[in-house]
Amino acid sequence: MEFGELYKSYWQKIFRLCMGYVNDYDIAQDMAQETFIIVWQKLHTYRNEASIGTWIFRIASNNCLRQIEKEKRFPKSELPINITEEKHYSLEPQIQFLYKCIAELPETDRIIISLELEDVKQAEIANIVGLSEANTRVKIHRIKEKLTQKFKENGQ
Amino acid sequence: MDNNIDFKDLWKQQAVSPPNIEELLSKMKDFKRVSLRKLVITNVLLVATIVFIISIWYYYQPEFISTKIGIILTILAMVIYLFSYNKLVGFYKTIDGTQSNSEYLQKLISIKEKQQFLQSTMLSLYFILLGSGLCLYMYEYTSRMTTFGGIFTYVVMLGWVGFAWFYLRPKEIKKEQARVNGLIAKFEDVNKQLSANG
Repeated sequence: MEFGELYKSYWQKIFRLCMGYVNDYDIAQDMAQETFIIVWQKLHTYRNEASIGTWIFRIASNNCLRQIEKEKRFPKSELPINITEEKHYSLEPQIQFLYKCIAELPETDRIIISLELEDVKQAEIANIVGLSEANTRVKIHRIKEKLTQKFKENGQ
Repeated sequence: MDNNIDFKDLWKQQAVSPPNIEELLSKMKDFKRVSLRKLVITNVLLVATIVFIISIWYYYQPEFISTKIGIILTILAMVIYLFSYNKLVGFYKTIDGTQSNSEYLQKLISIKEKQQFLQSTMLSLYFILLGSGLCLYMYEYTSRMTTFGGIFTYVVMLGWVGFAWFYLRPKEIKKEQARVNGLIAKFEDVNKQLSANG
């Protein structure tokens, strides 16, 4: 598999995963780049035991978790809300709200729901995160309930 | 189920075009260079210091065995520091980003625990070796001074060593421990999200 091709087909997905995780445009972009640096470094070790998508999503989600180490760089609650997003795009408030809600979930839930919304198969999500399929299914269900609730409360 | 479809649709409207691949490739080179540079600088600095100390031995030909032992202990202190520093860098190299999240978190936790041990133990060892090395080394030169001069020199030196041992060392260890412990706790907390049912 060629790096350039992977980059083209996965950039959006990886960016969205990172964006769901931090809800900050610039940081998400940095994280997506970091992910592709790792992909580039590790590509020669890829053996077909998992699909390339699973493989890349694993790298990306682990990199997200690694973000915890850097978190003191940006105490999130102190950042002015939405300023960074508005600078780049004036997205519909609904989209912004979705990403905001996801970024407020517990860390692993953010990853799970992002993958689900990205149309990754549940078996694959289980494989990426390291949960059983049954557990993953339950989790996805609960997270969606939570999100729906938040949307309702917010009158979206 | 309606909500389900809505979310997916909203999710995918967040679009961003990928930055130029050339830009990414150049960033990769920088990235490699920066992380390598720090490692090289630390190693070169300490090796240079060691060479300097050895050259003192060579040029000034100390007579007392205590001086020689002192020099060896000092060098040993630096070698140990260098060893643990490189080892720590090595830990991070072994981490495999292609594992599943739960395996990855466990690995991170174990690295942090090793780091915690290495930092506190090695730092203490470093200070002990450096302090005792210095005391032994100075003996030959102070023995040529007057009694008062000798005592004065040792008081000042021991004062410094004591300050480093009782003030700087615990402070440094505490600071690092707090940081690493905080990280371990957080990683464990995230890992628990995966083991708890929901």
